[in-house]
Amino acid sequence: MESVVERKFAVEIIYNGITKKIEVEAEEQVTAVLQKAIAEFHITQNPHLLSLYRQDGSLVPENESVERAGIKPREVLLLRPNAVKGGNGFLRLASDIVQRTFSTLRECGRGECECAVYWIGPSESNLVNGVEHPIHRRSPFGYEINDHWLTDFWKRLAASKHSVKAQVHTHPGEAFHSATDDNWPIVSQEGFLSIVIPDFATGEISLKNAWIGRLRGDGIWSRLAWPEQAIGLA
Amino acid sequence: MSAIEQLDRTILLCRDHVSDEVSDASICQSLQSVHVLCVADAANLSSHSGQSCLTTVVSLLSRMGMQVALALPEVSMIRRQPPFQGTGLRDSLLASSDKLISGATVQEPSSKHKPDLVFVLGDSTREERACPTWRLSGSEWHGAITQGAAPVSRWTAEWPIGGMTSAVLAAGEAFKYVMRRLPLRSKVDLVFFEPSPDSNWNFGSIPVPARMLDLGAVDFISAGAISQAALYALLRLPYVRIAGRIFDDDVTSQTNFNRNMLTVVSDADLEKVRLVAGRCSPEFNLTPEFQRFVAGAPEARHMAPYVLVGVDDIPSRWQVQRCTRGILVVSGTSHFSISASCHGPGEPCCGCQHPVDDPDGPTAIPTVSFVSFWAGLAMAVRLIRRVVGASYSLDRQHLWMTPLRMDQPHAAVWSPVAPRKDCPVQCLAVSELVSSGAFASPPR
Repeated sequence: MESVVERKFAVEIIYNGITKKIEVEAEEQVTAVLQKAIAEFHITQNPHLLSLYRQDGSLVPENESVERAGIKPREVLLLRPNAVKGGNGFLRLASDIVQRTFSTLRECGRGECECAVYWIGPSESNLVNGVEHPIHRRSPFGYEINDHWLTDFWKRLAASKHSVKAQVHTHPGEAFHSATDDNWPIVSQEGFLSIVIPDFATGEISLKNAWIGRLRGDGIWSRLAWPEQAIGLA
Repeated sequence: MSAIEQLDRTILLCRDHVSDEVSDASICQSLQSVHVLCVADAANLSSHSGQSCLTTVVSLLSRMGMQVALALPEVSMIRRQPPFQGTGLRDSLLASSDKLISGATVQEPSSKHKPDLVFVLGDSTREERACPTWRLSGSEWHGAITQGAAPVSRWTAEWPIGGMTSAVLAAGEAFKYVMRRLPLRSKVDLVFFEPSPDSNWNFGSIPVPARMLDLGAVDFISAGAISQAALYALLRLPYVRIAGRIFDDDVTSQTNFNRNMLTVVSDADLEKVRLVAGRCSPEFNLTPEFQRFVAGAPEARHMAPYVLVGVDDIPSRWQVQRCTRGILVVSGTSHFSISASCHGPGEPCCGCQHPVDDPDGPTAIPTVSFVSFWAGLAMAVRLIRRVVGASYSLDRQHLWMTPLRMDQPHAAVWSPVAPRKDCPVQCLAVSELVSSGAFASPPR
């Protein structure tokens, strides 16, 4: 007997106690389903913090297709805030962080060399309240952090109960994550953010043209569509 | 002090949906302009559950700034109903006028103000009115509100969980009434605030303790809204005794009155731990610890067998979990929703449930009386069920509830708590799974 797999089917989404049906396709990404659900409920307050949960309490992985995530026809999914999106992945910046970051990158890189800084903040918080400028060798094509500085940096962080929240570096032209960037982040922890600023940070003081990626549990960097998915003001 | 300041957090919650053009003063005025008539006869007030239902609904309505009228006879209070004082139920409630929120009155019915809503206790007789009317009914663990003509039962139970449940269901309807009268940012949001003609909630009927239930030592981490709601509920349970500690380094502010169930406006600036311990005495012997709970402190070395956590701060929950050897019950609110869970030794812990810090940080948190009360009530029930050996099963370890449309099938969702490899507490459940190799592939 041939089994028939439904390629297009409905799931039920619960938000604030209300249930709505949404049509999904097996090949569709879960992120697309999430966006549909957010649109269906007309949610405008912090929609980036929402995720889909199964009734067994588990999170529906957003980097999978509906089929690979195991979503079944008529399955009931709960749309609710996901602290992970606001925690490890979501950073709250003190008001001067972006300005300080650009100033440092411009001053050091002088429009001709790559440069890097690290955003730091209290360990048990998602607040970014400091910008660390490492000792590094620089060129138009890359940068290399000084080992001694790095050792000292880790000691200072531990003593002050701070941690690295994100790494930020510049590229000569387009912002993207190179293979080196992929393989050698300063922190290899799920949820860690990497930000690449184009044009040696000589453009607008804003993250809107930056490449922003979040490290997934499987070691792959997932590019975010817009900064607000991961960064907000404190 | 002004009602607009005291209702600040409720106004903030309304702002989730209310149009930006509406001022805070207008939202405050909408809350204060609602007149609710509570009707009860002597028969329905002759039980502790009926009395607890009445005091709870009056308190929850007042803490939203609403005007309450009481059409009921005077009866003796069967048991203490803190923070209401006195021996006569009606007089005690009337005396609370203007004392829970400034300008929120509790009065006898007057021809000057026609009620917008009517709540009738049990099968009390009432005159027909052309405004939305619900009957509040229930039993020991079950509460309901109904609009139809179908007969409902009289309040007879001594055990008051059902009474408080019915009251909080009714309070939610009053709040939705206000929201329906305000211009919303999006008309589709009205679906969340439509009236629920009939709704009910059952915490699960188990035999109620027949005699003294001494919980022994219980530690309360926080003396804020959730802990106060839990203690408000526990104080009303007959024959329950507690001796423990309550930790908090905060004093009562004006913006606490909208949800702190054991607090009255004259308590402003008092240490929360002292006022709560005082209001719980003599039934509960709570030692006030006017300090923030810190894992390394001497006070944290010997935690009570039962620990109730009502703090919003996620890292603080992890700290408490690391120190707890017995049962940990955690409750909290997120806008219109509540999250309540219980964690015993060897079970996935509160770090598995709340694995990362909250995004909002120490900002003003939107709250409203009835949502915070649900969180505390669920916490109290979980504690009692643990103590009497009738815990919820592990597939109900976590409750997510949005108590707006309680007539909807998915207003509440029970779920298990999955152990997480990245659990910040690294609890026993996670350690066992790691050592067994269960995390060979990434956990979902």
